[in-house]
Amino acid sequence: MNILVCVKQVPEAQAQVHIDDDGRWVTLGAGTEFRMNRFDECAVEAAVQIKEKVADTHIHILTIGPQRAETVIRRSVGMGADDGTHMVTSDDGFVDPDTLATWIAARPQAQSADLILCGAMSEDLMQGQVGPLLAAKLDLPSATSVIDIAFKPEAKSIQVDRELEGGYRQTQVLKLPALVTIQTGINQPRYPALSKLLSANRLSLEVLHTDQEEQPDTLLVMDKLMPPRKMRDAVFLEGATQDKAEQLITILSDRSLLS
Amino acid sequence: MSQPDELQTIMVIAELFNGAVRPTTYELLGFAQKLQQQRPARIQILVLGEDIESVALALAQSTGEDVLGINAPRLSQYNGQVYQVVLHDVLNELPPDVICAAHSSQGWDFGPGLAARLKAACITGVNRVSAKDDKICFSRDIYGGKVSADIISTSKTTLVTVQPGSFRWSPGSHQEPGTVNIISLPVEPQASRTLSTHRHQASDLDLTQAKVIVSAGRGIGDQENLDLVHQLAAAIPQAVVCGSRPIIDNGWLSYDRQVGVTGATVSPDLYLACGISGAAQHVSGMQGAALVVSINTDPMAAIFNQSDICIVEDLTAFIPTLLAKLSEAGKIK
Repeated sequence: MNILVCVKQVPEAQAQVHIDDDGRWVTLGAGTEFRMNRFDECAVEAAVQIKEKVADTHIHILTIGPQRAETVIRRSVGMGADDGTHMVTSDDGFVDPDTLATWIAARPQAQSADLILCGAMSEDLMQGQVGPLLAAKLDLPSATSVIDIAFKPEAKSIQVDRELEGGYRQTQVLKLPALVTIQTGINQPRYPALSKLLSANRLSLEVLHTDQEEQPDTLLVMDKLMPPRKMRDAVFLEGATQDKAEQLITILSDRSLLS
Repeated sequence: MSQPDELQTIMVIAELFNGAVRPTTYELLGFAQKLQQQRPARIQILVLGEDIESVALALAQSTGEDVLGINAPRLSQYNGQVYQVVLHDVLNELPPDVICAAHSSQGWDFGPGLAARLKAACITGVNRVSAKDDKICFSRDIYGGKVSADIISTSKTTLVTVQPGSFRWSPGSHQEPGTVNIISLPVEPQASRTLSTHRHQASDLDLTQAKVIVSAGRGIGDQENLDLVHQLAAAIPQAVVCGSRPIIDNGWLSYDRQVGVTGATVSPDLYLACGISGAAQHVSGMQGAALVVSINTDPMAAIFNQSDICIVEDLTAFIPTLLAKLSEAGKIK
């Protein structure tokens, strides 16, 4: 079975995010650390767990991003994936999710995959679009927010549980080939073994450049970025830790929340 | 987008769960009303499911808007493939200027794929609309809520998924119910079948009734620090401990204590957010709180925009200090 896992490198949640002067995009603070998107890490783990059960399973990793993003492929290989493709972008700018899905859909590893796994969303942009768009472009059945996955080889299908609101789940059967997007909580991603990480670092990856790919008409324009609106008063308590604690007790007492 | 003087059409895709209309449907109508304020538009509601007549009639009655009901036999439970095929067949004929669906487990499942099939732009998790010159800007949060992005669609048709809790519908003064059209479109899902919709685990905890919620986020760091959150909750009358998704995923709190889009929507008198970053997925679940107090080491944390009282502190220092002060003040027996 061929599995393709699409992964993305994202900045740490604590990263300083500065809006550029023209308001079109952001610059991250110096020294920002990057790592694999947590949803994608769960997708890689889900793929590796299938590989451990199903003989002759091959896991290919694909990422689109600047040069530094290749570390997420190597980490995935360290977790148990086999090889990877890095589609290198020239910068960190916004790319329309429809364009990303177009680029991935053109890859032979996507067209020949029995199963494509993506994270349910990226932690930085939170669009949740590339997975379902890719499924539509490849005309694959798909399921999002998957929290449980079981391979049914005799039926050439997978059975998945999707996470719904309010503690509900929905069980679906998808005929392979299929695409699912993975919700966090489905598993606890393993740490790459040191020995595997060392060989992953020596592995030669397929490297492509996105400026040589098809450039479809963009459907979205990022017009202006701004700090989010304050939805409440956002009064910052001042002073030493003790002073803030006292102020908070007064505020809560005045509202009879402590009695 | 049509020219500014043309009447736009906005198609609201109603959200059903177990055959009943979910409240998100009315939020979508609130979103459509906001769009209408920017530019004249005709709103139509589309509702899709099995034996849909009574639901369609009730929606037309309660909203005054025109309703298109699509009877799809055996679609008693949501199925993404059927939604995409049926909605494509119906909407491709029209096509509306704006299609809106809830940013929920249904909307984010069928929305992007439907947009791709319609060759429409897709913008997910929209929480505000505004006009700029003759264009409509759809706003959504990025970078965990630290930045708000205005996005313009360059496509004739735009599919939008609307962040829950962001818009409110004003019923207005309609006298007459809207018209109801029912069509039947039998579609058999080929490659995807929904087997069941079920409660994952039973729970007696009803967070919607909680008076005080002390909530832990990824920023608490280590699991041991959750003890501090429990101690703080124990010091405040009627307080319940909850968490954002990462805490639940780690297994540090049970799933029924999750606040947010995939958890509970709460409206306590006090919401005390400890180490919560404030991503939209979480904020949607706690916007109804009367008073929000947040503790976070990051002064730029998005949660502070959603807070009445902001405390930039490390909670491993702040909570013990607060507990000591509460004890001194005789607030803890």
